[in-house]
Amino acid sequence: MQVTIMPRDERTQPLRIVPGYPQTPPRNPKAPLVQRAPTLSELTGPVDVARRVQLLGGDIAGHGEKQAIGQLMQLRLRVVDEDGAPVGGTVVEIWQANGAGRYIHPNDDDHAPVDANFYGAARLATDDTGALELRTVKPGAYPVPTNDGWWRPPHIHFSIFGKVWLQRLVTQMYFPGEPLNGQDRILNAVPDAQARECLVARLVPPTGEPHNALVFEHRIVLRGRRATPAQP
Amino acid sequence: MTMIPTGEATLGPFFPPRYVDAGANDLTQLQGRKAKGEVIEIAGCVRQEDGASLDNLVLEIWQADANGIYGHPADPRHADADPDFCGWGRAATDKAGNYAFRTVRPGAPRGRARHVNVMLMFSGLMRILKTTLFFPGEKANDADPVYAAVPAARRPLLVAREEAPGRYRFDLKLRGENETPFFDD
Repeated sequence: MQVTIMPRDERTQPLRIVPGYPQTPPRNPKAPLVQRAPTLSELTGPVDVARRVQLLGGDIAGHGEKQAIGQLMQLRLRVVDEDGAPVGGTVVEIWQANGAGRYIHPNDDDHAPVDANFYGAARLATDDTGALELRTVKPGAYPVPTNDGWWRPPHIHFSIFGKVWLQRLVTQMYFPGEPLNGQDRILNAVPDAQARECLVARLVPPTGEPHNALVFEHRIVLRGRRATPAQP
Repeated sequence: MTMIPTGEATLGPFFPPRYVDAGANDLTQLQGRKAKGEVIEIAGCVRQEDGASLDNLVLEIWQADANGIYGHPADPRHADADPDFCGWGRAATDKAGNYAFRTVRPGAPRGRARHVNVMLMFSGLMRILKTTLFFPGEKANDADPVYAAVPAARRPLLVAREEAPGRYRFDLKLRGENETPFFDD
């Protein structure tokens, strides 16, 4: 399985140094990035990550009587390449704040309460159609400690391995109609409006199970496309 | 049909610690079986522009096995790849900014010098930063297309320092003096 990687349209990707995001200026290179033509080394990658790390369940909203607090939701995620072809069997790491906007992390010292019944993280593999489902609660918004009024809108984080090193992706998904989306410095660091729109999930009519959750669909497009094998 | 590749975003400050699994930075064994080859250590410190070390930054590496083969179907030799070597590892920096990997010395893949791909993910990095580690004293470095793509004056910054036999130091500076060369992929 060969994947070809083309340069991306810069406007579809975020600025590296983001106004109002104080961690960005000291951590991003000053020198121009070095251009290189991909070799086999970057066009291969770990296809068996699941042999090295443990997958963690697809339900992080609690069990039995111990349900997480918040709006129950079902996330239907689909991972494809630039041709829209499914990327099956790839590991997806997911993490998010709880319904009150608090993460399970020692670095999160926000005032919002911890929810003992909320797990906050899942690590799953896509099926052959590139799909996976997660039962969770909708994350809350939270203030960023820049103390200048920046609140992160509700969002879910993803880390996706893909099939080759250059497909590796870290991204965030947003929710439709959220008033904080328009001011978020991270979402709006992507210059192209259409590309920003692609970062927002779609609310779809609930069909089938579960009947008691909002259903959001989201598509993630990894870089690259499958190459046609060279004729012998 | 051409779709827009999804926009990257920062890892943020709250990447779950459990995702840096115990042993994820040790590539020398896989599911209890030892990888073939010479065990080496790669360690270093990650700093930002003002020299402050960075805590909880996530590094991942990807490399060929001891024979220079990738365990991936795009490598024509992948059927001969070491089944007990995954080639991928993850580490996070500690409070002093230090990280460490245990791995095997990669063989030279066809057309390349022996090397290790490195990526960095962190709060404040809106995009993954990618670089490549080369080994000192390798005649093949100068002809390596990735090494040669870097301006000559900056190439030494991609070469790890051998502190003891099999023990390499590879410090990373994200910006400013001695800034590590990063690649635009």
